[in-house]
Amino acid sequence: MNQSTEAALEQSRKKGVRLTVTVVGSIAFAIFVLSLLQGLKYS
Amino acid sequence: MAHATTHEHDHHDDHHGAPKNFFVRWCMSTNHKDIGTLYLVFSLLMFFIGGSFAMVIRAELFKPGLQLVQPYFFNEMTTMHALVMIFGAVMPAFVGLGNWMIPLMIGAPDMALPRMNNLSFWILPFAFSLLLSTLFLPGGGPAGGWTMYPPLSLQGDSVAYLVFAVHLMGISSIMGAINIIATILNMRAPGMDLLKMPVFVWSWLITAFLLIAVMPVLAGAVTMLLTDKYFGTSFFNAAGGGDPVLFQHIFWFFGHPEVYIMILPAFGLVSEIIPTFARKPIFGYKAMVFAIASIAFLSFIVWAHHMFAVGLPLGGEIFFMYATMLIAVPTGVKVFNWVSTMWGGSMTFETPMLFAIAFVILFTIGGFSGLMLALAPADFQYHDTYFVVAHFHYVLVTGAIFAIIAGTYYWLPKWTGHMYSETWGKIHFWNSVIWVNVLFFPQHFLGLAGMPRRIPDYNVAFANFNMISSIGGFLFGASQLIFLGVIVHAVWFSKKKAPDRVWEGAKGLEWTLPSPAPYHTFDVPPVIHDDELAHGHVED
Repeated sequence: MNQSTEAALEQSRKKGVRLTVTVVGSIAFAIFVLSLLQGLKYS
Repeated sequence: MAHATTHEHDHHDDHHGAPKNFFVRWCMSTNHKDIGTLYLVFSLLMFFIGGSFAMVIRAELFKPGLQLVQPYFFNEMTTMHALVMIFGAVMPAFVGLGNWMIPLMIGAPDMALPRMNNLSFWILPFAFSLLLSTLFLPGGGPAGGWTMYPPLSLQGDSVAYLVFAVHLMGISSIMGAINIIATILNMRAPGMDLLKMPVFVWSWLITAFLLIAVMPVLAGAVTMLLTDKYFGTSFFNAAGGGDPVLFQHIFWFFGHPEVYIMILPAFGLVSEIIPTFARKPIFGYKAMVFAIASIAFLSFIVWAHHMFAVGLPLGGEIFFMYATMLIAVPTGVKVFNWVSTMWGGSMTFETPMLFAIAFVILFTIGGFSGLMLALAPADFQYHDTYFVVAHFHYVLVTGAIFAIIAGTYYWLPKWTGHMYSETWGKIHFWNSVIWVNVLFFPQHFLGLAGMPRRIPDYNVAFANFNMISSIGGFLFGASQLIFLGVIVHAVWFSKKKAPDRVWEGAKGLEWTLPSPAPYHTFDVPPVIHDDELAHGHVED
């Protein structure tokens, strides 16, 4: 694997990781808020 | 197949090996292998602490009457045993195994988020110090059971400590899960398609999504407990318009998938070990992956089977009963596929394989008693008895913990570069498998005879089986010291060097690396060839 391919792979990995963290982290936070809202709704 | 690479040029010196400074290496590490080791050592420590709590429980129950401890302390022990074993021993052990092995199995240089990886681990010692410190507080520690049902759990003075500790564990788990998802989805070597990944990696990917989905729910539930206790809210307080059963719904919406969080990576581990020692690719690779995904999906729609006795509507009971029984289908697929993998294989019975076979047999027993508990009318009899205790210990001890032990024996030579003592490994196995059955099998009979769980004293009618169970417990506990001895010997004293491909039938990227695995691996992505994958060629 030459250096430019390696750099491109690194770049695409970084971009993918950022996107994954944003999406998955947001889902986790949303579920936390939703569980509190459900508690408020039924109590 | 892939050629293992360790970067030997282009980098600063400190990239060649582990830092020499102890503090820098272990406290500030961003290396997945070191963090994996930290997780595994921490989980072993928690396993012995949680195990010592279990010894107190079994000693008290050795014969009828109050012998050694006060009832409140007994309740503290049952609560702490569960919390420590679930959140401190089993979950961190799987995260440790995942940390160590996932990058090696997918050809990644490290986890996607190494600094967050460090933080995920180092939160845990603080969380458990906080939790365990409550045992020394004037009011005592949590004693309302690991399920923390209000209003019982709100009666103690340690609620804030418990809630904060659970929050910390949850944050650690969520960060760990995000890291694993980001690693698997983005860091695979070119050519390592999703359906070429080892089953262990698949099982962890699915488990990580379960963690993301349910740990925030637990965080929400304990936050509401906290505000009920200290801020005058009434989420679960009937006098203020709340509903204690609401907590049970929220808790078990987390709690049931949590059971699968503790068993799906075990399925993955066993799916790596059995093909190696049967010298055959796993039977039905895709079916195994889809079965794990199906079990994960079903785990979200069965939570109320823990609550049949609260007075659910009949339709609800029927739904949750059938949904729960449905889980037997994908689980059965897995059990049959493990057996089919062994069928006609050229099998050998090294210690990891022995534990894996014991897992298949004993986990199936735990699964069958789970089916009995799934039947709503029968559950009214079994609910809150020792039958439930027997069931979940068969699933979690001979399931999750046996798989963790199997995985440790399987990869220990790769981690340390030394072979463990096979003789002592087998002594450990036979002691474990005999005494674990002496410990937990009689508890089925106690439960069926009506002995309730979480009691320090009991009717003399239950004396014999309790004594047998306690003897099994002490000897099972003592057997685990052999495990500790085998690990210590392999790490520091074993003279027998491990080859790169430790097991003759082992396939997969991790076995292309030297033993011990170098500090940095796959800086240059490996080339993947289908025919050398652990599960063989997969048809499209």
